[in-house]
Amino acid sequence: MSEFQGCPGSRMMDLRHNDEAREDVTGAPVGAVASELRQWPIQLHLVSPQAPYFQGADVLLAADCTAYAVGGFHKDYLKGKSLAIACPKLDEGQDIYLEKLKTLIDEGRINTLTVLTMQVPCCRGLVNLATRAVSDSGRKVPLKSVVVDLQGEVLSEEWL
Amino acid sequence: MTTYLNSPVKEVIDHFPEVGEILADYQVGCVTCGVGTCLLKDIIEIHHLSAEDEQAAMGRIAKVVSGDGVTTATERVAPELAEPGEATASASADRPGAAPAGRVKAAPRYSPPMQQLVDEHLLIKRWLALIPEVLESIDVQAAEDRQLILDGVDFIRSYADRFHHAKEEDILFKYFDETQAIIQAMLTDHDKARAHARGAADAVESRDKDAIAEHLSAYRALLGEHIKKEDEILYPWMDRDLTTSQVGELFRRFAEVDKTSGIDVGDKYSRFVTRAEEIVGKRRERIQ
Ligand SMILES: [Fe+2]
Ligand SMILES: [Fe+2]
Repeated sequence: MSEFQGCPGSRMMDLRHNDEAREDVTGAPVGAVASELRQWPIQLHLVSPQAPYFQGADVLLAADCTAYAVGGFHKDYLKGKSLAIACPKLDEGQDIYLEKLKTLIDEGRINTLTVLTMQVPCCRGLVNLATRAVSDSGRKVPLKSVVVDLQGEVLSEEWL
Repeated sequence: MTTYLNSPVKEVIDHFPEVGEILADYQVGCVTCGVGTCLLKDIIEIHHLSAEDEQAAMGRIAKVVSGDGVTTATERVAPELAEPGEATASASADRPGAAPAGRVKAAPRYSPPMQQLVDEHLLIKRWLALIPEVLESIDVQAAEDRQLILDGVDFIRSYADRFHHAKEEDILFKYFDETQAIIQAMLTDHDKARAHARGAADAVESRDKDAIAEHLSAYRALLGEHIKKEDEILYPWMDRDLTTSQVGELFRRFAEVDKTSGIDVGDKYSRFVTRAEEIVGKRRERIQ
């Protein structure tokens, strides 16, 4: 009987070694879209800020819905970045989120933090959370906010 | 028209002064640039006009240089340079962050490392603003006045040059093709600024009031224009080109310079500028 390894949905997996293999997919037949995801898990409650793929990384903090709204999510936003997803409206434990983001900045020593949110007002909460995490951290890090509409069109993209 | 698009802007303006006026209408201030080696086509790109303004400006320039108001299809080097009203692909759709139509542009929002450079300019500009009054009241025979000039020259050399210009030259410009005319123009300005600092220091040594005034006034005019070009044109253009990852890297490298330069930015040199402002303020009160 195999050793119990916890919930498979939250088991950490580093998929970055697939980067090279993915190069081949670029030449794949039209219609095949390569995933740019290079880690698991991705939900902010589940990720570990100490995970190797966060060290010095450009991190994308995406509101859950953005991946469905933005057609080119992988190519335009996820490529080259490490990911955390969250919903500022429905998720519980926002204070835990704040601490986790601070740890990402201070201990993960991330390079940049990009917050991708929807135009809906409640999404603003995620930008506020990230802004607070940056200002409460010992380290300073460039923070960018990208807001998209329901069709995934960019409404604003600015450094905060 | 193609010939002119590939010509240095100064040459084009020398031939057709009206082109300078047209550019000025679109807040493109190349007429006053001391270098003017940027190509006309690059100027249009660097200033990031809206697609509509770009077309309108190019249409007006084409009329001036062709003399008859007609440009042939072969003369149009790019679709976005076509005459106003001509059917072309939307340039703004391909250019994220393109300025909306209209001539009034909002103040650019810089990336954090670029904002740092802009903030450093603020301290430099405070010293530049003081120079005319410092020169007016200077007595080269008074040790105190000579010291004020020497401290100002130290500010120019240590803060504006070794600290700020070094961030630009040793770090920022390396992310771009440094042979580009606009970067070459910035480097030429830095060299000229160094020469004026040297000239001013020598003039203090020889107690030559006219030479002090000549070098510091020239420095003030040069750096004032230089900072304006960087704030309004160079940095926004660079920001549009840098990747998110490069912005993070620049931010970290600038922070390392701040830490290792040995210059307490927030302290020593802002204290000097504040002190110089107080001295000038007191002299102003005495005169009134
Ligand atoms: Fe400069
Ligand atoms: Fe500068």
